[in-house]
Amino acid sequence: MTGWLAASQQAPHLPILLVIGLAVVFGTVGARLFQKLRIPQVVGYIVIGIAVGRSGLGFIDEQTIGKLLPFNFFALGVIGFMIGGELHLEVFRKHGRKLIVILLAEGIGAFLCVGALVFAAAMLLTGDVRMSLALGLVLGAISSATAPAATVDVLWEYKTLGVLTTTVFALVALDDGLALALYGVASSVAETLTGARAGEGTLRLLLGAAYELVGAMALGAAAGFVLNLVLRWTRDRARALPFVIGSLALVIGLAMVLKVDLILATMGLGAVLTNLAPRRSNPAFQLIEGIAPPIYVLFFVVVGARLYVAEMAFWMWVLAGAYVVGRTAGKMVGAHLGARWSGAAESVRRYLGLCLFSQAGVAVGLAILASDRFGPEMGTAIITIVTATTFLVQVLGPPCVKLAVQRAGEVGLNVTEEDLLESHRVADMVDRATPVFRQDTPLGHILKTMAETSALTYPVLDADGRLIGLISIQELRRSMVAEQLATFLLAFDLMQPVVDSTTEGARLGEAVTKMREQDLDSLPVVASADDPRFVGMLELRAVGRALSREIIAKRQRAAVE
Amino acid sequence: MKLSEYLTPDRVAILSGRTKAEALSEMVGLVAAAGPGVDRESLEAAVRHRESLMSTGIGHGLAIPHVRMAGLKRAYMAVGVSREGIADYDSLDGKPVRIIVLIAAPQGQHELYIRLLAQVTENLKDPAPRAAIVAGEDPSRIYELLLGEER
Repeated sequence: MTGWLAASQQAPHLPILLVIGLAVVFGTVGARLFQKLRIPQVVGYIVIGIAVGRSGLGFIDEQTIGKLLPFNFFALGVIGFMIGGELHLEVFRKHGRKLIVILLAEGIGAFLCVGALVFAAAMLLTGDVRMSLALGLVLGAISSATAPAATVDVLWEYKTLGVLTTTVFALVALDDGLALALYGVASSVAETLTGARAGEGTLRLLLGAAYELVGAMALGAAAGFVLNLVLRWTRDRARALPFVIGSLALVIGLAMVLKVDLILATMGLGAVLTNLAPRRSNPAFQLIEGIAPPIYVLFFVVVGARLYVAEMAFWMWVLAGAYVVGRTAGKMVGAHLGARWSGAAESVRRYLGLCLFSQAGVAVGLAILASDRFGPEMGTAIITIVTATTFLVQVLGPPCVKLAVQRAGEVGLNVTEEDLLESHRVADMVDRATPVFRQDTPLGHILKTMAETSALTYPVLDADGRLIGLISIQELRRSMVAEQLATFLLAFDLMQPVVDSTTEGARLGEAVTKMREQDLDSLPVVASADDPRFVGMLELRAVGRALSREIIAKRQRAAVE
Repeated sequence: MKLSEYLTPDRVAILSGRTKAEALSEMVGLVAAAGPGVDRESLEAAVRHRESLMSTGIGHGLAIPHVRMAGLKRAYMAVGVSREGIADYDSLDGKPVRIIVLIAAPQGQHELYIRLLAQVTENLKDPAPRAAIVAGEDPSRIYELLLGEER
């Protein structure tokens, strides 16, 4: 095994695009397998990443990961942008106080619990008060961060909508800010404690944290204003796409140059855009959402590939255990208390804690910063503990989010017309009560039926119930040239040939596409491809009405707190 | 639209058949003779199917069998006159049929088909032209009478 591992680690570096292709393809395949097991797809990406990464086969090594970093930054930017797009000012106006209370409660809850447990564990293991306190402070601060990416991916995958979903979107967006601020304070205190740079720079560290927060949001907001202006002058979607992607890449790049938080910056961009022009910016978010999936897959595969837990000392396992237990308890209890104090909805009180376990970018980033600042011993410990726990919560977190939104009853409520068209069959929407004519039904009877019913097209059936033609009101109007004809014209004389039909078992989307492409108001439905017996008519406007009703019903259910 | 575009004097005939089946067969023969594009058998089958749904004998000695067919390139009309009258035509008023106007149109030309039907009923709604047609000696005279004011 070791030999094989070693051999694979010596494997020549694959071209980077080949790595990307393999990662995206196999990540997607892995995700499908996990979806079959009803586990969120993001776990599949990460597990594939672990399998091919440093902890597994070693195909994606440190050097390859380094080359993939720009894609990672772009992915984080996309995630930030999409979350920003979910932050509607009205939500903050309505729920701002609630959100701040919950944010502080769950963030500080995790900080206190992890801090206390890590401090206690470190004290038992080392007996060094200052070092233990410093570790507790830094790991506590890091533990307050929640990774938006994996969490939000679950919400999108299961098309959730409701008060819990809204709260989670807002919290994971703001969590980065809170974590940065807590880290700024905690690390400066820890630095003083460990004497790394005694007395010097406490203020500077705090100012630094403030710069990262405010700078990032200012950068994103400024870009949002500019992009909004550009979009106002670009009606054409195809022309808007380069602008949107370009601005996103610009903000990501500038955030890196200015050393401000990347996710917060792109979040600012998304938030400003969606609030300045909710309608006009919608295509921009759709465009990014459209190109996002492969970027996400790559991102999460790389997250998995980076995780390295093979060589951890026993005491690190103990600290990691303390960290996970403390963080889980702190987030659960904090979220529950925060929700209760702020008077949030029952579903938020009960299930919010479960949605906040994921940690990734910011936590690992802060751990790397800390390793820089606190010297080799404590630095390595922090990095290893955060990496190992990230491994754990990234795999366990998404199923918890799924469980929470399921329990809260928010799954499948955020559907679009397209989703419903894909999920419904023609049989669900076919009008089986459409009046039908026989071949020998006289014109007089046809006119009477049409006057009494509201269909636009009427089927003509033969004696065996098979569809042989259609009579539309529009066509019939042209037949009204002579009264005398009314006495001897039959449905057979008036019917038009059946241009196209569908079957009960066909996907609704397929049938609707047929109607739209051929400019038909309705489509006759037969039993099956082998059984041409007429079942009913599928009317485009009736389908539209039914789908709107379903969407509205789901939204209303989601809006009920 | 002019009837003369679809009816020529050579598709006007004095019918020899005494029964509905014989008469309709003669009428189909007139149209089939008009061009190689007309399939006699399928036209006859279509005409018979239409008659099986309801007789096209609309009364006053007049019958207008009419069909649309997928294979036809253009619309055709034919006129047949029966001196003795066809008693088994099963017309609406029970009287024997003396004038048969066959209209065969392509499947896609529904509007033309209806207009031809309407024009023929319009031209023959008064008793005078009907009587003149039945009394008409030669087909060209019948042709002119049927076209009415169009001439």
